[in-house]
Amino acid sequence: MAGNWKALFRLWGVYARLDLHWLTQDTKYCVLTIFSDLLSNLSSVLGVFLLAVRFGGVGGLSADEVLFMLGFYNIVSGLFNLFFLGNNVGNISRRIGRGQLDHMLIQPLPLTVQLLSEGFLPFSGSGVLLGGIAVTVIAAVRLSLPFSLPWLGLLLLMAFSALFIWVGLAYLVSVSAFYHPAGSEEISSVAIDALATLGGYPLGGLSGWLQALLVVVFPAGCLAWLPAMILLGRSPFGAAALLPLLALFICGIAAVLFQKGMKHYGKFGSQRYRSMGHRS
Amino acid sequence: MANSVLSDTAAWDTAAELRGVTKCFSQRQNTQNVLKNLFHPTYRTVTALDQVDLCIRRGEFVAYAGPNGAGKSTTFKLLCGMLSPNRGTLRTLGLDPVRQRIALMKQLGILFGNRSELWWDHPVCTSFEWKKQVWDIPEEVYQRQLHLACEMLDLKPFWNTFARELSLGQRMRADLGLLLLHDPALILLDEPTLGLDVLAKRQMIDTLKTLNRDFGATILVTSHDLDDLTEMAQRLVMLAQGSIVFDGAPDGLRAIAGDSRTLTLTCADPAPQVPGATLSHSEGERHTYLFDHQALSTSNLLQAIGQLPQVTDVELGRAPIEQVIAGLYQKWKQPAAPGDPK
Repeated sequence: MAGNWKALFRLWGVYARLDLHWLTQDTKYCVLTIFSDLLSNLSSVLGVFLLAVRFGGVGGLSADEVLFMLGFYNIVSGLFNLFFLGNNVGNISRRIGRGQLDHMLIQPLPLTVQLLSEGFLPFSGSGVLLGGIAVTVIAAVRLSLPFSLPWLGLLLLMAFSALFIWVGLAYLVSVSAFYHPAGSEEISSVAIDALATLGGYPLGGLSGWLQALLVVVFPAGCLAWLPAMILLGRSPFGAAALLPLLALFICGIAAVLFQKGMKHYGKFGSQRYRSMGHRS
Repeated sequence: MANSVLSDTAAWDTAAELRGVTKCFSQRQNTQNVLKNLFHPTYRTVTALDQVDLCIRRGEFVAYAGPNGAGKSTTFKLLCGMLSPNRGTLRTLGLDPVRQRIALMKQLGILFGNRSELWWDHPVCTSFEWKKQVWDIPEEVYQRQLHLACEMLDLKPFWNTFARELSLGQRMRADLGLLLLHDPALILLDEPTLGLDVLAKRQMIDTLKTLNRDFGATILVTSHDLDDLTEMAQRLVMLAQGSIVFDGAPDGLRAIAGDSRTLTLTCADPAPQVPGATLSHSEGERHTYLFDHQALSTSNLLQAIGQLPQVTDVELGRAPIEQVIAGLYQKWKQPAAPGDPK
């Protein structure tokens, strides 16, 4: 176990270096990447925020509370980009569907360590996270939220719970690629995008059963809305436990089904191999 | 795999061992009937390996040959734990490839000709640094193996070139160099000469021979080019329809196939009839025949050719091993008669 943690930190170092080399391979490329990251950051926040400003709030949240929620949403999607965006680790159905898991099986490392390290992009993938932190801090100051250690700890717990709900769901649906590689090759990106599209909206205006549906069944509300409500003190205290439990549940189910899928992979092999770069 | 407990004594001198290994795949068979495909699809079971027994000793250089679909790649995938067998037991370097994958991968090197482990958008040197960290290779081993790879495979001219910009030959050299970095005890190469030009192929073959001869590496290699395989390896294992049909020295294969020879005649006229020889093919004025040297001696053949005044040139040679094998594969496709040797 200790060896795996050691390997994980060693590999984060390797992938950080690879990411830095990739980002700095060319001046134009480097500038364009940073500039497009800034634009993407702004646009992800502005749409909903301008609506909130125009109508004096959305879904029971004030404009500043919406801004806080959007900042939190960008922290979660920033964490996703930081740890899982690279090399199709988040989009794992691509690797499964293209028969490219073999490249991972020849490495002398547990698959979990590889999956937790290979997507690490601290340089090219940290723009959204940094933007999210900035927006969250601005909104928290405007709302006079307490920057106490327990509150920051709760924020981190909510952020990582939301992250693992997102990743767990992507892996859960990706399991189908073991059984139907051609049809399910892109299913993880469908799940990731569907959650991302709905994840940045306040759900306060919806009916109770629809809110429950979007929190428990299709947990888009867990990416930003519910955590923001908890951090703003607008939800019952018990709700804070729901997110980590849901994250554990989804990741646990995904892990069990993924292992079953791996057994199927070992029994039947890959029906197809696409030689296009297995990391792109 | 639960019963794959092979003898411990074998572990030391055996690089790979398969005992009664069977591997089947199911293939979906779609018809023109859309409803049947949708609700009641049919599957066909394909036996890729059928009760295969094979033992490879440490230090051996084994060529693994067979037509497409014979089960060569399946064997490789079984040996490195990517697949598990339906029946039988197998060990690679004394380890269970599925259950002890991580320990095995520290000692095993595998390269599929149509796959690359290089980082596409990075220079070659970055992939080598990456492998050092991922395999956790000690500095001393890394430097020694890097020096060896650079010297044998001449990697320096494209050391800082992006992998995506390499020619196929350069990519294969870089991939082979990468494979050598952790000093693997067993090297599995699936079609390493695929698509390479004559020069690149020569370099690859020489490197593999050196690795086996001077460094004692155990190598199991597949190729469609049987002439390459017989030149490289001391032992030839041939698969056909999932079974081993030949296992021995390459010369022994010729003994089974007969002493087939080629005769090439140059003449302006259409290919003349040569008693005892069969016309194989013609290219312009050159006509190539096959004949069995045991049935027709060279002196008798030359005497017969002397009766053909239009012939301006004569060449004699051994039939290419591929031609020999093609005949054997056809023979092996027929159901074997009881008592036929394999």
